[in-house]
Amino acid sequence: MELFLQRLFDGLSQGSVYSLIALGLVIIYRGTGHLNFAQGEMALFCTYVVYQCGEWGLPIGVSVIIGMGVGFALGAATEVTLIRPVAKKSAFAVFIVTLGLFQFLNWLDGAIWSDQPLPNSGVGSNQQSFPSLFPNKPDDFINVFGAAIKLQSIGVFLLVLVLFGLLYLLFNYTKLGLAMNAVASNPESAKLVGIRTNMVLMVSWGLAAAIGALGGVVFAGINSNVNLGLMFTVFIYASAAATLGGFDSPGGAVLGGLIIGVIENMAAGYAEEWVGQELKVGVALVVILVVLLVKPSGLFGTAKVERV
Amino acid sequence: MTLLRTSGLRAGYGPVTVLHDLELEVNEGEIVVILGANGAGKTTTMRAVSGTIGRQGTVELNGTDITKMSPDNIVRQGVAQVPQGRGTFPELSVEDNLRAGAITRRDGMSKIAADMERWYQQFPRLAERRGQRAGSLSGGEQQMLAIARALMSRPKLLLCDEPSLGLAPLITQELFGVIERLNKEEGLSVLLVEQNANLAMHMASRVYLLETGRIVAQGSAAELSADDAIRKAYLGF
Repeated sequence: MELFLQRLFDGLSQGSVYSLIALGLVIIYRGTGHLNFAQGEMALFCTYVVYQCGEWGLPIGVSVIIGMGVGFALGAATEVTLIRPVAKKSAFAVFIVTLGLFQFLNWLDGAIWSDQPLPNSGVGSNQQSFPSLFPNKPDDFINVFGAAIKLQSIGVFLLVLVLFGLLYLLFNYTKLGLAMNAVASNPESAKLVGIRTNMVLMVSWGLAAAIGALGGVVFAGINSNVNLGLMFTVFIYASAAATLGGFDSPGGAVLGGLIIGVIENMAAGYAEEWVGQELKVGVALVVILVVLLVKPSGLFGTAKVERV
Repeated sequence: MTLLRTSGLRAGYGPVTVLHDLELEVNEGEIVVILGANGAGKTTTMRAVSGTIGRQGTVELNGTDITKMSPDNIVRQGVAQVPQGRGTFPELSVEDNLRAGAITRRDGMSKIAADMERWYQQFPRLAERRGQRAGSLSGGEQQMLAIARALMSRPKLLLCDEPSLGLAPLITQELFGVIERLNKEEGLSVLLVEQNANLAMHMASRVYLLETGRIVAQGSAAELSADDAIRKAYLGF
């Protein structure tokens, strides 16, 4: 029982990271129908920025806000300069551009910072470990039915719930949210009711990258360092999460992320013999396959309804 | 007072020019109908006015040149288009569709809510389905929703692109009745393109005849129906 609860909470906090990246994927997909392959790498770049702020002695709370701000600017600029010009041509062109961006950003991180995990005293880091948003000393845990649950896990989980709440309010009770929904549903008509669709798409990309940045920082905090490969598997899990939850449903992305995090940890823990730590990523693949076969629109995605 | 005037309007798609030097006028309080067969350039005319395709020449609204304006700014100038094939937001509820129609307005939630109630009274079927997704409505209901959505922006000029398309005659009649009433009671100016000449001519202040991107005849409904050739070609009697 203790072990089960521990794995559950570990899974939830890991899954929260997937949820954050998946939320970014979903926000962009809803607006444009594009899958942003660079979502994870955009988040990674911002995570390095947060590391840099830490090096300059800024408290983590301030660093995160800066990192998310950089993320917003990066996402918005990407949409305007890279995506918009090719989006008119074809979805395939967008796919290639985001793949290119994926590679470029990863190279850029290595060029600016280091190909070693950071912080690293070898390259002169001032910080001991990557700053965590939540208490993460060895004795920062609470007992739940005998299981030691890290405060960090609970904090991350709550953070995702709060963020989801804010997004829910955004999508359902604000003009911006209404405009985003309208553009997602019918971009042509969105123009005809006076929605500035270009602005909406730019803001969507910015928002997606800012949320991704938060995911990157949280994951680096759990991981204690940031490195060039940090987001590779996270991106795969996040894609599985978005597929599971439904690519156009923010709520589905959050739940999908949490479910995948839990499944991953349970599978690695309980089926150690034949899944173990090495084959964990395979779990994501299985989930994607099963969902696509059984319910392609995902748990909460909208299967298109249209009467003609 | 001239509300809309186009002069030398040319528009098309890529290398293909569909409209050739179109001269159109809509005066305040008029219902102007453009008649034309398939491929005459009716929808292109609507798009050229609402700014959703590239255009040359000039389009003036209330004396302001709107030729260079983007579609969203043209809506802000008071032009609302009901696109062909309804163009509702299928995944959004009826109510959110109407809210989206009012997205350019700056005059406060209570006035927007009051307008919404008004269109619900005008179209009771929409009121019954206000929480339902627009995509699940019937064709006639979607057309009503598209018109109500356009009216939510409180336009000075309503552009209607073949509202009768795919609708039963009775529903079409109902829709045209609403448009006519809005025109009489509120002074709403309307530019409407149609293939369905009989119904549309009935309520038109003036009629233009469009053939392969050119205006070939214009006048009052009575004048045009008096012309034998036109009557045979467009009215079928």
